Amino acid sequence: MDNPSQYWSLAQAINTAASRADNRQIFSAMGAQRPGPRELALMLQPQARAHLEQMAARAKSLTARHFGNTVSLYAPLYLSNYCSSGCVYCGYASDRKQPRRKLPFDAVARELDALKREGFEEILLLTGERTPQADFEYVQACVRMASELFPQVQVEAFPMTVDEYRKLNLAGCVGVTLYQETYHPVVYDMMHRWGPKKDFAGRVSAPAHVLEAGMRTVGMGVLLGLSDPVVDSIALYLHAEELRKKYWRSGIAISFPRIRPQEGGFQPAHPVEDRLLAQIVFAFRIVMPDVPLVLSTREKPLFRDGMAGVGISRMSAASRTTVGGYAGAPAEDRGQFEISDRRSVMEICDMLRAKKIEPVFKNWDAVYTG
Amino acid sequence: MKPLVLGDLEFQSRLLLGTGKFSSSAVMLEAVKASGAQIVTVALRRFNRERPSDDLLGPLMTLKNITLMPNTSGARDAAEAVKAARLARELCGSRLIKVEIHPNPHHLLPDPIETYEAAKILAADGFIVMPYMPPDPVLAKRLEEAGCASVMPLGSTIGSGNGIAAGGLLDIIINNSNVPVIVDAGLRAPSEAAAAMEAGCAAVLVNSAIAAAGNPSAMAQAFAAAVQAGSAAYEAGLMARSTTAAATSPLTLFLG
Amino acid sequence: MFPPAYPSLKEQMMKLVVNGEEIESSGSSLPDLLVQMGASPKRVAVMVNGTVISAAERQAVTLRAGDRIEILTFAAGG
Repeated sequence: MDNPSQYWSLAQAINTAASRADNRQIFSAMGAQRPGPRELALMLQPQARAHLEQMAARAKSLTARHFGNTVSLYAPLYLSNYCSSGCVYCGYASDRKQPRRKLPFDAVARELDALKREGFEEILLLTGERTPQADFEYVQACVRMASELFPQVQVEAFPMTVDEYRKLNLAGCVGVTLYQETYHPVVYDMMHRWGPKKDFAGRVSAPAHVLEAGMRTVGMGVLLGLSDPVVDSIALYLHAEELRKKYWRSGIAISFPRIRPQEGGFQPAHPVEDRLLAQIVFAFRIVMPDVPLVLSTREKPLFRDGMAGVGISRMSAASRTTVGGYAGAPAEDRGQFEISDRRSVMEICDMLRAKKIEPVFKNWDAVYTG
Repeated sequence: MKPLVLGDLEFQSRLLLGTGKFSSSAVMLEAVKASGAQIVTVALRRFNRERPSDDLLGPLMTLKNITLMPNTSGARDAAEAVKAARLARELCGSRLIKVEIHPNPHHLLPDPIETYEAAKILAADGFIVMPYMPPDPVLAKRLEEAGCASVMPLGSTIGSGNGIAAGGLLDIIINNSNVPVIVDAGLRAPSEAAAAMEAGCAAVLVNSAIAAAGNPSAMAQAFAAAVQAGSAAYEAGLMARSTTAAATSPLTLFLG
Repeated sequence: MFPPAYPSLKEQMMKLVVNGEEIESSGSSLPDLLVQMGASPKRVAVMVNGTVISAAERQAVTLRAGDRIEILTFAAGG
């Protein structure tokens, strides 16, 4: 779209049009042959909550059709918690009293080793905003180290230029995750009090830069709870669809982070309860049948177990949101957000297998790209 | 109905007509009028000094509100197609060009590689490029990137009347395209045109089904009505097929 | 009849290949050739030795013996 605030305004219009939907229209949306934003909006209405079981059944059968009975697992590794942005909701915002550190390269190596020994083949390297302590070169060097050990290295960090993403790709990074947090331009401005993350337009254009650079996937998402979660979900879908059609050689993944309690006492203006989150995931599965849908350890075991394979096709496991924390002594900081699912990799695998779902650690090797 | 947008041109009718295989020019002209089509295809042929009246340009120019879309049939590769396109533009001034490169005279299936090469050159040269192509979703995206104003996947082979043979592939093309998708070739019955429109095609191009019908004008009207009905149905949003899943055990109990 | 000792340009005949057929032409300009062929200048497109010649360029083209000329017009097609 020409203007980054158009995703929100268009999503809002679509949502308003869907708000008067009756049962018949909602059923129609659930079974539409080529569902689009209209159908997504219909399935996200409060009236549709009565049909959650049917939506789940459809989501489950679509997930099985496209992903088989598998869920892929990955681990996040926080490289640094230095940050220059003031995101109201984040435990690593620059005004939080947190011990700040970044992993020196020898510690990165130890953490990578520990994750590898746990069986992980896919990892997500995370940092905060671009800082002198953790700059592009640092992330690039960590990617290079990680790609020696892991066939799939992804990065969740500050927005970069196309050229930087290209370099990151060459260093072995195959995917970048970058959440919009919210498509509401005013709320976005309020939530990001200072720092580079204040740049709404820059944030919106970042996923396109990722794909322009030739990355295999871009992970997208909104931080559910900041604004109206239904409108934000529709806006996210509009954005994802636009990218999917333009960068058709690449893939998209959608994550569903919702705000958990933080130090700083941030309370979301639009708390998202379990049923609504499930509804959003099912609806996304129905409108994007072949896109990986991701659920992190922010969520509780009961919820994660229930969602695995029913829409969700990818999960983090055994996560730490502290800097490091997999090898040796536990980290001193309190983490970016509260982990709700503290089970080990083994326990997660057992849970999945009990549900007749095969945990998958590796999808592919970069045989031809070396 | 929303207009059909091709490059910087807009059309009200979503039925495109081919002018081949009619029993006479007069019958063809009647069918074009009856169809309400605003875009008709023509082919380039050698001027015949024995029959100078074979020229179609004159009669077609008597029709109002018609844009000619010359095709490049007869071209066996990209270089020939580019030449044909430039000759055609010389002749009628229309920037619409149907890139049609089918080296094999029997099945007339398009050569995807030469079609792509020609499309790139012609789009850069200011043509509104309309490529006749196999129903291949990846090729469709490549042609879109090459600057084509639409993609025109075949329903089935030219003149076969076998309808839309690869509906699943057509669906993927429509679902991924940023340019209008026009089914070109293979349609036999108006119901097939309606089905293509219901599936989300932007338009259909019909020739043999009308030219070879018992009453071409009446068939042209029937196709026009079918295209309108299909298009309206798509805009209205089709009712879902039943997706009742056998409820083995509830999936949402964990939500409390 | 005897051939004239000094044939004038006008009468000089040359062989051209027009639409794949060899013909004798007396004119050396493209517009003359179109007249000779009975083609209406506004209803045909022309290519000489594989090069597309626009209507505006026709007058400037001098034909030489052996030139291959294509004169094209619109016909029915799908």
